[in-house]
Amino acid sequence: MFRASSWFEWPASRSRRENIAIQSGIVLLIGLVDYASGWQVSWSTVYAYPVALTAWYVGIGWAYALSLLSVIVYTAGDVATGFQFDNWLIPVWNALIRLVLYAILIHMLAYIRSLTLGLEQRVLERTAELRREIAERERLERELLEVGERERRQLGFDLHDGLCQHLTGTALAVQVLSEKLTRRGIPEAAEAGKAVDLIEDGIALSRKLAKGLQPVEMHAGGLMQALQDFAAATTDLFKVSCQFECEAPILFSDISTADHLYHIAREATANAIKHGHAHNVVISLEARDEGTILTVTDNGAGIPMPLPKKRGMGLTIMAQRAKLIGASFDIRPAPNRGTVVTCVLPHPAGASDAVFETNKERDPHYV
Amino acid sequence: MSDKKHEILLVDDHPLVREWLASLINQQPDLAICGEADSAQEALDFISMRNPDLAIIDLSLKESSGLELIKTMRAAHPNVAIVVLSMHDERHYAERAIRAGARGYVMKRETTKKIISAIHQVLSGKLGVSEEVAALFAERFVDNKPRTWTPVEELSDRELEVFRLLGQGLDTRTVANRLQISIKTVQAYCARIKDKLNLANATELLREAIRWNESNAA
Repeated sequence: MFRASSWFEWPASRSRRENIAIQSGIVLLIGLVDYASGWQVSWSTVYAYPVALTAWYVGIGWAYALSLLSVIVYTAGDVATGFQFDNWLIPVWNALIRLVLYAILIHMLAYIRSLTLGLEQRVLERTAELRREIAERERLERELLEVGERERRQLGFDLHDGLCQHLTGTALAVQVLSEKLTRRGIPEAAEAGKAVDLIEDGIALSRKLAKGLQPVEMHAGGLMQALQDFAAATTDLFKVSCQFECEAPILFSDISTADHLYHIAREATANAIKHGHAHNVVISLEARDEGTILTVTDNGAGIPMPLPKKRGMGLTIMAQRAKLIGASFDIRPAPNRGTVVTCVLPHPAGASDAVFETNKERDPHYV
Repeated sequence: MSDKKHEILLVDDHPLVREWLASLINQQPDLAICGEADSAQEALDFISMRNPDLAIIDLSLKESSGLELIKTMRAAHPNVAIVVLSMHDERHYAERAIRAGARGYVMKRETTKKIISAIHQVLSGKLGVSEEVAALFAERFVDNKPRTWTPVEELSDRELEVFRLLGQGLDTRTVANRLQISIKTVQAYCARIKDKLNLANATELLREAIRWNESNAA
């Protein structure tokens, strides 16, 4: 109601000109009351109120002008009520004393004001700086994740299309040698044959590595296939039931988006089994009006709500991945028990019909 | 067997593989490499000049698709038998390659042991695929859910329309937009199609739709 601040902040919303008019009006109003109450009652300190407001909101010059006005009004009031001074110097002296008092008030306020403004300015600058730093760090984090992904994919590609091909050539060369040895009846032919087996094992190994590094194959249906393989492998490996559910085909023209969704699903599943001790995990991929939705639901121990401030890297990276592809990320306890992770990827604006068709043309392995 | 060696064209964009595969094949008494190519265009140019008995084709060629090459060859040079050589898993790609017109499929990691027998099989008019793939094909044929001969006619007009659009490589939302129905409805259709055609999941549905689309376009 009568907060001190409301007595001092109301002029802030008014213009400079309005303030000069209003404060002068207040001075005249006080002068009127002063005159009416007679010369014996002193009102001199009350004039400090409009003077102080003028000093803060208008400026030192106008504050001095208002001080002078106050002194004139005050003295004029006294004279008008018929007070007789013994000496004309006395009212002049009193007026001067009051002026000095107002001057001190005006300068103190001006000083405090400059301090406050400086502080505000510094806070603003610092905040802007912090914001810039945060944005920069987020950009770096994204970049880091993206660089890692790119490197990983590239490595997978090199292994699959470079090393494996090279090893195939090598195996063929040794096979040629082995057959030549056989034809000449040299017993070491068998050893050459073994070498072929070893090289072929090497091909199988590097293929496996490549698959681990680049689980989502580069075609529009790659994510569906990868998630299905992943669910089957998880069921096998951890002796839990891991299902992949997908009613209608969900296609991705962008391998990087598909890749991030795959890793989110994988991380969520790993968490469900490792931390939640779930026996049942369902990964589902679904198209809805609001976008493509990936959910991972488990029947494990669930997670505390609200999420602890200090979270594991897994959660942070999942959220970061979602952010990177422009998807939302949400993790919460499932209705009965367990956890549900949801990722909503909005449909790309104005995606053309032709995207997947051209992709299919270009990609020999479109399934 | 006649004295004349069977002439083979090798289409692969990896020089090392080409070189040693050629050596291996040339070592066989009845086979001879008559040419090598590292792109689809080069392969087609060669075939029109000289008619080989068989072509070995890598599915992933530089800047072109091995599958497209197979289809073109089947149309223009139906007498050239084709064996596919691929880095990719036969479970996912063999059927597609055979359907496109190849007579054999060998995974690169098994090339050394299997390519020669696959070539011989194909040259004698049989399918040159691994036992696993042969078993897969047989299963499909004998299975009481014969996918290859699925009565697509059983689909309602609307379901067939959805199936056809999916086969063109459109995603669910685009199909919904095209048919002016909701995504939910498309999903309901997909579920019914999967039921009717006895398909396990969306990946199979997509594969089946693309396959059907291709065989109907051909």
